[in-house]
Amino acid sequence: MSFDFSVIAHGLPIFAKGLVNTVLFCSVAIVGGLPLASALALARLSRRGIFRLPATGFVEALRNTPFLVQVFLLYFALPALGIRLGATTAGLVALTAYAGAYFAEAIRGAILSVPRGQLESGRALGMPYLRAVRRIVAPQMMGYLLPALTNQMIGVIKDSAVLSVITVSDMAMAAQQVLGETFAPVESYVMVAVLYWVLTAAVAALMMQLERRFAAPATGPLRLLDPVPTLTSER
Amino acid sequence: MSEFALVLSSLPALLRGAEITLAASALGVVLGVMVGVALAVLREAGGRALRLLVRFYVSFARGTPLFIQILVLFFVLPAIGLDIPKFHAGVIALSLNSGAYVSEMIRGGLTAVPRGQIEAARALAMPTPLIWRHIVLPQVFALILPPLTVEFIALVKASALLSVIGVVELTRTAQQIVAATFQPVGIWITTGMLYFVMCFALAALTRRVERATLVYRLR
Repeated sequence: MSFDFSVIAHGLPIFAKGLVNTVLFCSVAIVGGLPLASALALARLSRRGIFRLPATGFVEALRNTPFLVQVFLLYFALPALGIRLGATTAGLVALTAYAGAYFAEAIRGAILSVPRGQLESGRALGMPYLRAVRRIVAPQMMGYLLPALTNQMIGVIKDSAVLSVITVSDMAMAAQQVLGETFAPVESYVMVAVLYWVLTAAVAALMMQLERRFAAPATGPLRLLDPVPTLTSER
Repeated sequence: MSEFALVLSSLPALLRGAEITLAASALGVVLGVMVGVALAVLREAGGRALRLLVRFYVSFARGTPLFIQILVLFFVLPAIGLDIPKFHAGVIALSLNSGAYVSEMIRGGLTAVPRGQIEAARALAMPTPLIWRHIVLPQVFALILPPLTVEFIALVKASALLSVIGVVELTRTAQQIVAATFQPVGIWITTGMLYFVMCFALAALTRRVERATLVYRLR
């Protein structure tokens, strides 16, 4: 078996277009997912059932089912109920909701990783609530939040490849298109795998910079108890 | 047929699909642990070139979509003359992917084994393979058992991707029923619920394992 590089040269414009689309879709999902996730995380931490229960249900439903099934449900089952979404719209909605659910858990964990007494001391010293959150809780949770968020962002990028099964024209779709023109599946798929790799590595490097800039060294019982991180990223 | 009647009559087929899903993921974890141990040992005991190769492999497996990996493997296997059933190809893809994640867990676990124990074993003239088998790996396994159950859950969800190469697991079964009946709503909701039940039940297992191995993690 030999690797035919002319396939890659031939498919370059198609791969480039796919890459741009994948970056675009993931950016939308990540940017849209973050506020959704913050709301979900706060709702899950709320003492009031009307906030906590729906948020918990939503997050757990999304985290405990395959993304592929969620996409099928949105794209194939919703039209039967009268809501018809285009492939790209359905894909974007699914990816954003999915990002929101996973980011929410990262944010919730980060908030819980800061001992409650920190916020309470700030309040006791007369700091307004929001300032105490911003100046005391937020900096301390970054050491937990940023690595967890990096994992989940990479998960979103990787899972976005699944959207090609409902004909969203992302990078995985580009591989299929090149495969259709050249009949060289291995070359096409290896090429997009490398492109995904570059993309996830770039995101990881970028987040590492952010971490260096914003994250105070993590403290608290979490780090002591848990030498092996139990959060695994998605495929 | 009404949605409800369709779901009811499809339930046996869906449950058979769920069985295949569980089988593929369980095999994926078990073989993934073997791949992971091999990778970890190569990284710790191998030379510089080997270490670099392992790092490359782990980074690639973790940095690219499993969806693409499954397709690459699906097309590479016949190209190198291996003609095996789809289920086997799927399980191989899952375990090669999972192995990379497991090797990272092991790497984390290794740092928790006190250096002095290995030095003591060396001082007693224990050969390296025995040190790994009797001293390092048992402790590492107690540490990584909880994340391994999480890995199992991840594979139950990830194995849905095997449907794209035609492995008739839960998702593929649902697709086939929908294609035959044109009634997607009940079937997809039921499929989602079946995945949810499997993952949720396994999460309970995670909590139990976490409690059982707590003593190793507190030290």
